[in-house]
Amino acid sequence: MCTPAAGRGRVHLNVGGRVFETTAATLACAGRDTMLDTSWNASHDDAAGGGGGAAAEYFIDRDPACFAVLLDLLRTGGLHVPPGVPEATLYREALYYGLLDRVRAARLGDFDGDRLRLSASVPGRAPGDGTAVRAAPDGGCCVAHGGAVRVYNWMLDERRPVYYPGHAPVNDAAYLDAATLLVAARERPGRRGDDGGVAAFSALTGGLRHRFRVAHDRQPRSFTAGALAVDDGGGCRVFASCKGRFNEYGIGVWDANTGEQADFFYEPPGCALGDADRLQWLDGTSTLMVTTMFPRTDSSFISLLDFRDKSVVWSWSDVGTPASLEDKHAVHAVVMEDGRSVCVINQYENLGFLDLRSSAGGVRWRSRSKLATGGKTKALISEEVCYPKLATYGGQLFASTGDTVSVFSGPDHVLTSTLRGSQGGAICDFSIGGDRLFALHSEENVFDVWETPPPAII
Amino acid sequence: MMNGGGGGGQKKRAPRIEPFRHRVETDPKFFDKSWRKLHDAIREIYNHNASGLSFEELYRTAYNMVLNKFAPQLYEKLTENMKEHLEDMRTCIDAAQGGLFLEELQRKWNDHNKALTMIRDILMYMDRTYIPTNKKTPVFDHGLELWRDTIVRSPTIQGRLSDTLLELIHSERTGEVINRGLMRTTTKMLMDLGLSVYQDDFERPFLEVSASFYSGESQQFIECCACGEYLKQAERRLSEESERVSQYLDVKTHEKITAVVVNEMLANHMQRLILMENSGLVNMLVEDRYEDLTRMYTLFNHVPDGLTTIRSVMASHIKDTGKSLVTDPERLKDPVDFVQRLLNMKDKYDNIINVSFSNDKSFLNALNSSFEHFINLNNRSPEFISLFVDDKLRKGVKEANEEDLETVLDKVMMLFRYLQEKDLFEKYYKQHLAKRLLSGRAASDDSERSMLVKLKTECGYQFTSKLEGMFTDLKTSEDTTQGFYASTSSELLADAPTISVQILTTGSWPTQTCNTCNLPPEIVSVSEKFRAYYLGTHNGRRLTWQTNMGHADIKATFGNGSKHELNVSTYQMCVLMLFNSSDVLTYREIEQSTAIPAADLKRCLQSLALVKGKQVLRKEPMSRDIADDDSFFVNDKFTSKLFKVKIGTVAAQKETDPEKLETRQRVEEDRKPQIEAAIVRIMKSRRVLDHNSIMMEVTKQLQPRFMPNPVVIKKRIESLIEREFLERDKTDRKMYRYLA
Repeated sequence: MCTPAAGRGRVHLNVGGRVFETTAATLACAGRDTMLDTSWNASHDDAAGGGGGAAAEYFIDRDPACFAVLLDLLRTGGLHVPPGVPEATLYREALYYGLLDRVRAARLGDFDGDRLRLSASVPGRAPGDGTAVRAAPDGGCCVAHGGAVRVYNWMLDERRPVYYPGHAPVNDAAYLDAATLLVAARERPGRRGDDGGVAAFSALTGGLRHRFRVAHDRQPRSFTAGALAVDDGGGCRVFASCKGRFNEYGIGVWDANTGEQADFFYEPPGCALGDADRLQWLDGTSTLMVTTMFPRTDSSFISLLDFRDKSVVWSWSDVGTPASLEDKHAVHAVVMEDGRSVCVINQYENLGFLDLRSSAGGVRWRSRSKLATGGKTKALISEEVCYPKLATYGGQLFASTGDTVSVFSGPDHVLTSTLRGSQGGAICDFSIGGDRLFALHSEENVFDVWETPPPAII
Repeated sequence: MMNGGGGGGQKKRAPRIEPFRHRVETDPKFFDKSWRKLHDAIREIYNHNASGLSFEELYRTAYNMVLNKFAPQLYEKLTENMKEHLEDMRTCIDAAQGGLFLEELQRKWNDHNKALTMIRDILMYMDRTYIPTNKKTPVFDHGLELWRDTIVRSPTIQGRLSDTLLELIHSERTGEVINRGLMRTTTKMLMDLGLSVYQDDFERPFLEVSASFYSGESQQFIECCACGEYLKQAERRLSEESERVSQYLDVKTHEKITAVVVNEMLANHMQRLILMENSGLVNMLVEDRYEDLTRMYTLFNHVPDGLTTIRSVMASHIKDTGKSLVTDPERLKDPVDFVQRLLNMKDKYDNIINVSFSNDKSFLNALNSSFEHFINLNNRSPEFISLFVDDKLRKGVKEANEEDLETVLDKVMMLFRYLQEKDLFEKYYKQHLAKRLLSGRAASDDSERSMLVKLKTECGYQFTSKLEGMFTDLKTSEDTTQGFYASTSSELLADAPTISVQILTTGSWPTQTCNTCNLPPEIVSVSEKFRAYYLGTHNGRRLTWQTNMGHADIKATFGNGSKHELNVSTYQMCVLMLFNSSDVLTYREIEQSTAIPAADLKRCLQSLALVKGKQVLRKEPMSRDIADDDSFFVNDKFTSKLFKVKIGTVAAQKETDPEKLETRQRVEEDRKPQIEAAIVRIMKSRRVLDHNSIMMEVTKQLQPRFMPNPVVIKKRIESLIEREFLERDKTDRKMYRYLA
């Protein structure tokens, strides 16, 4: 479609009364499937007979100020929004021209925990406290609040919320892809049958796609789903910790696309699986980490499951640790990206490590890993205690403590940055994805959005 | 009464304030107006008249419709509208006659594609917003679906299209030239409509038609063609189909059409082709038709079980020819030729496999097992192979080139590997080597040693230790002889003939127990001196003279004055020396005075008196056989061009039947201790074992050397039980127990 003749010519565009002069080559930068490029070829093909000269002027009935920004984007590849142009308007215009993806790419730099900048604080309107925030692969996010999951696109416009059928309270949410959201919900006592469980929804419209059901001995049973995980390595499987009514505790496995139950890992004695509050799929070893942590249970329990031969490959528990250390409980855990160790954090914000290659060793607590305690007083005053949480991304380790997220870098996990945003109280959950970090604060129901700006040119 | 003023009159209405509602009324005709605009534009586009349209305006119109939530209606209207246009196109295509049909279809397809691109551009905003959230098909793909349903799959076109395509392909197969460009664009269209359309509407019927075409053609060919010819044809058809795929079909069809052709032309006729009389595989093998064989291999590589069949036919052919070779009594007369034929046969098949069967491992294995099978059908193979080596190593001087010899030996080793009775070969090889070494006719020490190394790498140290001992013996003998002459004063030996003594370790050499003959007195005196010297230097040894194995150089002056040096065996020397003292001697006299065993003596006299040109003696009467009363005298008229005359011994290279029997018996005797050793080794480690397992283990252990006979093993076990190495289990008679 691209005609070489158009490549050389200069082009006059009259946008909403303001005349822009540019080259066809610049407009071709927009790429195929955008209004500017196709308009160019189409008009050129057809107007070739009439216009003839290179100085033909084309009229576009849109806002000139936004067009200036977008033309600048096409010329330089960078996005610079002058103060007078509201972002929402710019996004709308970009959508009109078909340039929204380019704007997004220019807006979000490659994620780097040490160069994060607070870009927005989005106030929530939900009644209760948020239970979880999850980043979408495209830069959007969702926040689970009691009976609803509020979904935001990457421009932080709120979409239609997702309601679990019967408005069952939500325990966890996970993105299968940018357009599909998985929700795990709690079964409420007194309800008959169809309550709680796992379901997939369209993240765009909030519509229910399908439910993931559990059958024991070919009998479908209702259950409470706790934590969710997705095997994104290629197995395309969904995992959830399940608690049935008849002591059917364990990990359910489904095919992500069809919703068919693929497997069920029944809880072996001495392993807490059905109560698990966090699952993490490990691609390297094809295992699933299941953690059941204080204060949900009296003691913390971490295990690695291999579904190919239905075995517990590795496990650790702090049951039976000496009384003097009793108050030092691991409250959150994450498998490091090299797949060789698990990082845990206790309620006093100490980091510790467990070696996955041997099943004997205990936690190696880091001696001087007490984190910055700036907002701690506030966290202590508040009634609701937010326990620390952990995440890894791009070789960095992130830990939320109080109202702060700490960033650790390098092989020895040295504290390199602390992020403190809104006065929304302690951070109850955070999530990294789509080149953004989302931190959900417990008191004001506000979530902060952190981004990495494009690096300086010189 | 207080009636309200104006009683019964009008009720005073409470003033009602209308809420200020500024209803945003959209133009009720907005949708219709906008759609009309797009509708007209689409018509112009289909009429190739788009130049007057403003893209920006149309885009904006569509944008506004979507913005005002009219997207579902727009989508519906668009579908309807495109359908109408396509219906019109279909009428045109239907009207096209004969060969123009495809061209018309192609033209309309291009038109539709171009129009569709423009429509898609206009409706791009809908594609981005409405389509993904509502899970609809994007405009462009939707347009293709409509084309598929209204045109390609319409009842009037669907059948006609596939018939036309198949007809064209058929005429190309029969040699006509068709418009390939048109074929390509048409199949491309089907692929663009989705893989399922291409497969259902074209590929499946295409494969069916092809199958029936090739089944007919192959039937016709096989009746009238030879195998090679037929395979050429099949190869040509295969490459034609490959080219067709590359020219105008989807790549994925390649595998399927190849499978069809292979199935119809090759798999269905496989047995008949391979076994075809006068031209099949056997014929190709016999005539070394490499090209045909290569073709057969590559073609049948596609057929399941194809190579297996070729392989088994080849193997059975090799076995048959090999069997007839080794069992042919004619061939047994000349061992060297016998082995040479085996080598030639091996070379022939090695070449075929290398050149035509791409050095296929499984074919090589089949070749090896076939050779192993038939070589062992003849129990003289070990002897013959050893004789062949003997021939090569003896005549080495003639062959001159050591490298050639080396390759021949390597090849012989291949044959050796096939032998089951390697110990028998060892026996013979030892005999032949001894002869070569003692008669000094080993051509090259290097070649001998290299052969030994080959045997050693093949069978291990044990196999060759005795053979190596033979070489050591020769070396030490040389030193001893030198020592003897150095230590003995020269006066003592002044007149005596020079002797060279080979001291052979008993056991290393294939010595036959033989009666020592009476040596001439000159020799006796010097050999007694040597014995004294030797026993003086080596304590506790015993020397026995093996007069049957030595040789001597004697100077002879004949009656006519001619002088010659005669190279003869020890026996011959003994005979000739007798004539120093008498002129005429009868056979009986000679026998008495020399005490040479009769058979040897006869042979030795024959070689002295009856070989043409080398008649040192004359015999009366002149007959081939030697009777007791025959008399011998020196041939005074003996002449020879050469000063040195070598008198051979009329000796059968091959073993005579009684000798053969003897060798066989000796081998059997030698095997007994080996079998016993194996049994004891096994039982020592296992302690208790049942009969069958012992049999298996023993066979396994001894296989590299020979195939033990189960009856013999059983006898050995019994003998071991007698000697109380083993005992039978008290309860289970089949179990044996090792007694430490």
